[in-house]
Amino acid sequence: MTSTQGSTGSQSSLREANSVRILDAVRQFGSITQVELSHATGLSPATVSTIVKDLLAAGTVETRHTIRSGRRAQLVTLAHRAGLLIGLHVGERSLRVAISDSAFEFLDQREMPLPVDHRHDTTLDRAAMLISELVDGLGSALSETLALAIAVPAPVNPATGAVAIPGILPGWEGVPIGEVLGRRLGRPVAVDNDANLGALGEMRFGAGRGMGSLLYVRASYGVGSGIVLSRELHRGVLGIAGEIGHTLVDPHGHICRCGSRGCLNTVCGAQALVDSLRHSRGTVTLTDVLDLAEAGDPGCQQVVIDAGGAIGSVVANTAVSFSPEVIIVGGELARAGKLFLEPIRESVRRRIPLAQSQTLEVRAAELGQRAELYGALALAADLAHIESVAS
Amino acid sequence: MTSAPLLRVRHVSKNFGAVQALVDVDLDVHAHEVVAIVGDNAAGKSTLARVISGSYQPDGGSVEIAGENVLPLTTKSARTHGIATVFQDLALADNLDVTANIFLGQELPSTRRLDHGLLDEQRMESLARDYLRQLNSRIASPRTPLAQLSAGQRQCVAIARTLVGQPRIIVLDEPTSSLSVTQTAEVLNHISRLRSMGLGVVLISHSLADVRSVADRIEVLRHGRNNGSFSATETGYEDIIAAITGAPSAHRIPR
Repeated sequence: MTSTQGSTGSQSSLREANSVRILDAVRQFGSITQVELSHATGLSPATVSTIVKDLLAAGTVETRHTIRSGRRAQLVTLAHRAGLLIGLHVGERSLRVAISDSAFEFLDQREMPLPVDHRHDTTLDRAAMLISELVDGLGSALSETLALAIAVPAPVNPATGAVAIPGILPGWEGVPIGEVLGRRLGRPVAVDNDANLGALGEMRFGAGRGMGSLLYVRASYGVGSGIVLSRELHRGVLGIAGEIGHTLVDPHGHICRCGSRGCLNTVCGAQALVDSLRHSRGTVTLTDVLDLAEAGDPGCQQVVIDAGGAIGSVVANTAVSFSPEVIIVGGELARAGKLFLEPIRESVRRRIPLAQSQTLEVRAAELGQRAELYGALALAADLAHIESVAS
Repeated sequence: MTSAPLLRVRHVSKNFGAVQALVDVDLDVHAHEVVAIVGDNAAGKSTLARVISGSYQPDGGSVEIAGENVLPLTTKSARTHGIATVFQDLALADNLDVTANIFLGQELPSTRRLDHGLLDEQRMESLARDYLRQLNSRIASPRTPLAQLSAGQRQCVAIARTLVGQPRIIVLDEPTSSLSVTQTAEVLNHISRLRSMGLGVVLISHSLADVRSVADRIEVLRHGRNNGSFSATETGYEDIIAAITGAPSAHRIPR
C-alpha cells in the first residue's frame, strides 16, 4: 500500500503506479485471476479490469478463461509467446524450479525440501510432476516449453550426461538424468554441475556480467566451483574441472565420499560443520548453523569463519592457477555475508601473485540462491537455440 | 538438541475394547524440532496425536509439557498448554474467507468503547496477513474466500489458525496426504517455517520422502508400540522401512 503514496499527483501517474502493482502481483503468483488481483492489490475490480486490458494491448500480459469455484474467471499471466524455459536445481536438500519466458523473466518458481541422500527416481519423478503442474498453472502446455536444464550437485560427464564420480551423489550413479527427464516431459533437457551453472548465471545476469573469465565458488552442503575462460564454461574432459571440494587439504584427514583422503569437503562440507557443533549445540542442520550465526551465536559464527578460511586458501590456489578477472561466491554459506566472505578475501589478499592485481575482487553472488537457476535457464536457452538451428 | 524436551510422553497406553491402540508409548519433542511419527495403518499414529491433543484420554502413562504433568488433558486445556493440532479433515468453513477461518471460534472483540460487541476486523485481517507471511504462504489475500483455495492453501489456513493461540507445539495429522506435488512442496515449506519459528512439530505421515525431507527425528510405531527412533539425516529408507514392517535391521539405535 505504501508504494503508491508518493504518486497522488496526476491521473496518469496513479495509473502507472497501479499497473506496477498489478504486474508485481502477477509476477509473484505466476498466474492469478482478475478477482484475486483485486483482492491482492486492493484495487477495485473495475480498475483491475481496465489496467489488465491496457497491459494486454501492450503485450505485457496474457489472459485466458478459466473456472474458479464454478464461475468463469479471467486468468492473467505474464506474456510468454516466444515459449517457456525451465531451469531446475536439484540440491542436496532442496529442489528448486524456475519457469521463465525467453527473456529470462521468471514467471513462476518453487522450492521443495528434499531428504538427505534422496533417490534419483523419487526426485526426478517429483521434479517432472512439479514442472507439469506449474506449466499447467500458467495456463500453458509442456509443448510450449523450448527446453529445460537441470543443475545437480556433482560433476557431470559432458559425454554421457551422468554423474562423473561415483559416491558423490549416492544413488545417482550411471543415471542418464537428462534422458530420464526428457522422456517424461517430451522436451530437450541439458544437465550440468550446479557450480558450473551458477558461474554461467552470474556471468550472463549477475556479478560477472561483461567479464571474460571468472571463478564462481559454490559453498553449500559441499563445495564446488565453476570456471569461466574466454566467456565459456570450462568443464574439463570428465566434467570435473573446478571440483575444489575434492582437492587435498589434509593429508592425514578423513576419507571423503569420493574415496580420497582429506578432501576440502571433509573439512568444511555440511557434515563436518554440523559435526563440529554436536558437542556444544547438539544436533543442528546447516540451515540452523547459518540462522544461529546470523542471530549472533559465537560458536556458529566461528564455524562459518573457519569454513571461509579453509575454502579461501583453496580458492586462492585455484585463482593463481588461471588468474580470473573476478571471484564470485554463492551457495548457502554465502548467506552469512561478510562473516564468510572476509576470510576468503583475506586468503586471496595474502596470496602475493594475486595481490599484484589491483582489480581482482571477491564478490558475493548478485543472484543469491537463484544463480544456479538463472544458469540453468541460460543453458536451456542455448539448447533451444541449438535445437532450432538443427531443425 | 541438548535442552529438556518441551513435550514428554511416557508409557502411554490406550485400549479400545480388545484393541490395544497404544502400548507403553514414549515420545519426546523439543522446541525447534520436527518429530515425525510413522507406521503402518493402525500402528497408533493418529491415536497418539489424539492423546496429545486432548481428544482421547489415555488409560495409563503421563504427558508432560515443559516438565509439568498435564493429564487429564482436554482439547481446551491442551490449547492453553500450548498444543495445537491440525486434524486430517481440517474443519474449515468453505463459505467464509481466510481471515474468518483463521479466527473461527477465537474472534477478536473490538477494544473501542463504542464498538461494544463488534469484532476487530482490521486487527484480525492484519494478524491473518502476518501469519500467512510467517508461513511464506502463496495465498493472495487474507480476504480470499476459502472456496477459491487449493488443498495445499487450505492446509496453510489450518496451520495459520493454530498460530493464533501462540502455541509451542503443533501436531499435524497427515498434512500431505491427497495433495499434489506443488501443494506438498508448499506444506513442507510451511513445516520448515514452523521449525525455524522455534516451535516443536509432531508430523504424522505415510510418506517417507516427505518425512525425511523436513523431520529431525523419526519415531516408528508398530502395533501401538515404539519400534525405533531414528535421526532423519543419518538413517536411510531401508532401516526405517525395516522398523515399520518389523524386519530385523542392524543399524537400529537402541532406546
